[in-house]
Amino acid sequence: MAEILLHLTTVSSQLQALDDTSDERYDTELRDLIAYIKQFNRNIDSQYLLDNLSPSQHTLSYLIILNLHIETLQNQTKNRVPDEIKPGNDLWAKAVYFLRSFDPIQVRYAGHEWRQLVELIGQSAEAVAKPFLAVQVIREALLRLDSSGVLTSVHITFLRLSLISRSYSHALPILEKEMFRFPTSSGQAYRKHIERPLCSEDTLGDTFISDASGFSAKLTYRDHTSFFLYGAMIYMALKYWDKALHLLTIVISSPVNDSVSKIMVESYKKWVLASLLGHGKLVAPPKIISPHVLKVYQTLSKPYASLADAFERSDFQRLRADIDFGRSVWRADNNEGLVCQLFRAYNTFLVLKLGRTFSALTTADVARRTFTSLASSANVEEFVASLVMSETLGATLVHLHPHGSATMLRFSAPTKLVFNKEISMRNRLIEGGRALRFIANDVDQCSSELKLGNENLQLLSRNQRWSDTSGKGGGDSVGEADGGLDIEEDIMGDAT
Amino acid sequence: MDLPPLSREQLAAVVASAQSPTELYSTLSEYESEACLLSTSDATQAELLSLYYSTFFFSHLLTDQICEARLSTKRMPQDLLQNDPSLQNCLNLLRAVWQRKYEQVYTILRALPWSEPLKPIVQSYDAHFQEKTLKELSRAYEAIRPAAAATYLGLDPASVEQGDPATMQKFIACGWTWEEETGLLHPKPIIEAPQDDTKLYNELSEVMALVGSRRV
Repeated sequence: MAEILLHLTTVSSQLQALDDTSDERYDTELRDLIAYIKQFNRNIDSQYLLDNLSPSQHTLSYLIILNLHIETLQNQTKNRVPDEIKPGNDLWAKAVYFLRSFDPIQVRYAGHEWRQLVELIGQSAEAVAKPFLAVQVIREALLRLDSSGVLTSVHITFLRLSLISRSYSHALPILEKEMFRFPTSSGQAYRKHIERPLCSEDTLGDTFISDASGFSAKLTYRDHTSFFLYGAMIYMALKYWDKALHLLTIVISSPVNDSVSKIMVESYKKWVLASLLGHGKLVAPPKIISPHVLKVYQTLSKPYASLADAFERSDFQRLRADIDFGRSVWRADNNEGLVCQLFRAYNTFLVLKLGRTFSALTTADVARRTFTSLASSANVEEFVASLVMSETLGATLVHLHPHGSATMLRFSAPTKLVFNKEISMRNRLIEGGRALRFIANDVDQCSSELKLGNENLQLLSRNQRWSDTSGKGGGDSVGEADGGLDIEEDIMGDAT
Repeated sequence: MDLPPLSREQLAAVVASAQSPTELYSTLSEYESEACLLSTSDATQAELLSLYYSTFFFSHLLTDQICEARLSTKRMPQDLLQNDPSLQNCLNLLRAVWQRKYEQVYTILRALPWSEPLKPIVQSYDAHFQEKTLKELSRAYEAIRPAAAATYLGLDPASVEQGDPATMQKFIACGWTWEEETGLLHPKPIIEAPQDDTKLYNELSEVMALVGSRRV
């Protein structure tokens, strides 16, 4: 066993850094190591090896042996989640320690095993009804892996666990990373000509997370929409309405063939509520949604349309009646919590609207004009003061007499509002700029990859044959637009 | 994972050594997983859990994460939450803070029984809440009745009505002015440092350059 351990520890991330081993050599060493471990039989003393390997330095060996150990236990107990891997037990501690300290370079060679372990951690935590335990671990593992904008099935599992454990803010570090790629297709012929070794520092997530790497299960249309819906639900729980609307917009404007999916309809219902809660009205639906799809949404969510209409028309009686009448609908759609928040939002937007007409009002006037459930002037003052003090409402309050309850609400001067708006716009612009810079870095690469993709190469090949036989000199427009990108003949050969 | 195990002594040490509320919150968050593994059926562990979750709850309030404080009460063991006096006090406090019931907040903080280890953090939050409210009042009110200001800040409104000089002095010390003819206090807005305009301008220039350099 000591001999095996010696062999397993020869490949170490620390030694690699010290020796400054070339990427190609390190790549070969790691691949040889995998081949060596894979020939072990299942009776190997994995416990001894796990106790003597370092998860951070011998990540690859540790991960594969740990999976072997778990697999043996699963076979022995005939249980997918044996007790030893459940929270609080030794194997759980080992797995958690590994996921918090693995070497993100070495782990690229064992994507399948990494995902198996992460999924098992999720299942174990769920099995003891403590999903929160998995949330922190998976978040750290995902951040350590750094998927560089690539969506994986682990992201979806992570958001689902965050939702069921109500650890919404714990999901933000993952959710706030721009997600704009699927795992790359390993079937693209050009890849083998441009790929660097997996262990290279220059190899990013968009390269090492491919559909064959094992870091993600096969993603379906449903997974894609689920990710954004879960994300939106997390933002809604935290009352980040604009962010929630952005993610819901992605779902409801997803491409459709004949009919919309249930998840899209659910998202549309939440989109209506988030619009009302965040903006006090239905925001304009994205233009990308075709009119017939929009009509389907509206037909399938009539109670929500009625609710929105009452809200927008400031018809409190109807709003209250609609909310009461549709209680079973909101409950069935899991939207009861959001609908309950409409009352306060209604009162808030009513007071905000007054600011567009008046420059100042007494709180008694506010009470008279709003006709809300806020009965007395004192209640109104308390409510308005809470809006002003929380900066929801740009206004100031003035007590008029030392005794009594007369209070004046003075809405902020338009110049001050414009100034505040400008600051907010400027911040949004900068935020958008950061996202744009991030995505722009990737646009050129995506463009090149599309040009080098099998489909485009086949098209070029067909065009080439056509131009040869017709005797006309057809220029390579893709090559020209590419700015000197050279497409070699042997790549064309591989594409067939 | 390198943190010492969760215990009453360790909790006291964390509270005493934290340089800021943010640091306290961050250290206590790291203990949440360990707390999750403790059992409420064991009396000693239940006691430790009560102390941990109460302290963690206050660390949320001290960092003004009211929404997150509410969510933390949903994550803690519900049987403990329903039966533990300290956690019940926390729930009442949360409700009062959420609904901005100022009088209730001060009553809960000052009149309800809190366990000895929790008293320092309860007092810290009292001071924090008072200071936060003072800033909000200064911004929100142009003129305010002294008794109303006293209620917001957890002072005695009756003594202010009677013109207690000590309480009035507290307002004046904050830069507020007292107008004798009207009998009203005029708060002075506490202006926070403006954002660095040069930095904003540079970032905007970078965005514009980036947009300009992309070909459509």
